[in-house]
Amino acid sequence: MKARKVRKLDPAAPLDQNAAKIVRTRVDELRSLAPQALDPDATEAQHNMRIAAKRVRYVLEVTGFCFGAPAQTACRRARDLQDLLGEMHDCDVMLPRVQAEIERLRGEDARALLLQAADADDLDPGLVAHAPNRTVYRGLELLAVHLRARRALLFERFHHLWQAQVSKGTWAKLERAVDEQLSKTKEERKSPPNGNADPAPRETARAPSHSAS
Amino acid sequence: MAKARDVVGLACGDPFGTTAARVVSIRADELLQHSEGVLDTSEIERLHDMRVASRRLRAAMEVFEPCFPRKRFRVALKEVKAIADALGERRDRDVSVIALETFGAALAGPDRRGVAAMIDQLREEQSLANERLVPFVDRRRLTDLRDGIEELVAVADRRAV
Repeated sequence: MKARKVRKLDPAAPLDQNAAKIVRTRVDELRSLAPQALDPDATEAQHNMRIAAKRVRYVLEVTGFCFGAPAQTACRRARDLQDLLGEMHDCDVMLPRVQAEIERLRGEDARALLLQAADADDLDPGLVAHAPNRTVYRGLELLAVHLRARRALLFERFHHLWQAQVSKGTWAKLERAVDEQLSKTKEERKSPPNGNADPAPRETARAPSHSAS
Repeated sequence: MAKARDVVGLACGDPFGTTAARVVSIRADELLQHSEGVLDTSEIERLHDMRVASRRLRAAMEVFEPCFPRKRFRVALKEVKAIADALGERRDRDVSVIALETFGAALAGPDRRGVAAMIDQLREEQSLANERLVPFVDRRRLTDLRDGIEELVAVADRRAV
């Protein structure tokens, strides 16, 4: 999934002003995917949401300190989403592979039985007892069943996790913190420091330095 | 999973370009640091750490993209993506092998045959992915990438002030 372009970023402008624009776009992206991704069969939307969560997480890892506690929480929650959706994706990749393998073995056995039938008028049902892969299916069928059940379980967890994040206001709080920064930037643009007076030093610039991980 | 190295002393009021220079420089260094022993399939966490480092570097580059000279940035990002993809191909097999081994161990003996055959297939793919990975984790190639990124970083730093 291609990331939405973030416009009007300025390398010379402060980190928090630019970060606010990026975080806002990435959170919008994440939230816009949720309605579709909450359909259990929407594997592509879920995959896209995992990528969106990853983008939110990584931008917050670097810039989250500019938006306080809501950003730290949101960063952890984005990682939770990413992990869970990642496990669902692993099931989505493995299940068709297992099914294809079962199908391949069936085909192989059918061909073997056909050879054994030789010139007979009909196929002897007893021949299946000699199908070369007859003991292989069960394990793979069980694996397919396991993947399907695990996927359903993970989806339930994802659904609950997202609802919990929404009801706790994880994303809304982050959006408020980011929007405050965006409004501050707008205000600063509207009323630039007048005449010879030195602009007041930005609060963020005076704040103690932070580390990003 | 290796924790990302802290980028200390960042401030919200610092120019975006200055922050870009500091963060991307450290993430590029980390990629090189984690490249030791990644081809050893008996120690799969090493590859995982390098893969995470490649993802962090890519993410940092994408966040700070407007701070870098476009053409050279694209070349460097393409290389980071290629490395991340090659690492991802190996990692996918590492993870699948472990998952199937765990699942197989829970099955009754006679039911394990099919799963064991799939593990064998995955091991072959793991080995192939490892061969394809060799050029991407070559020390010289990674050092060249890091040096190229350092040049980008210097430009970002200059542009920001």
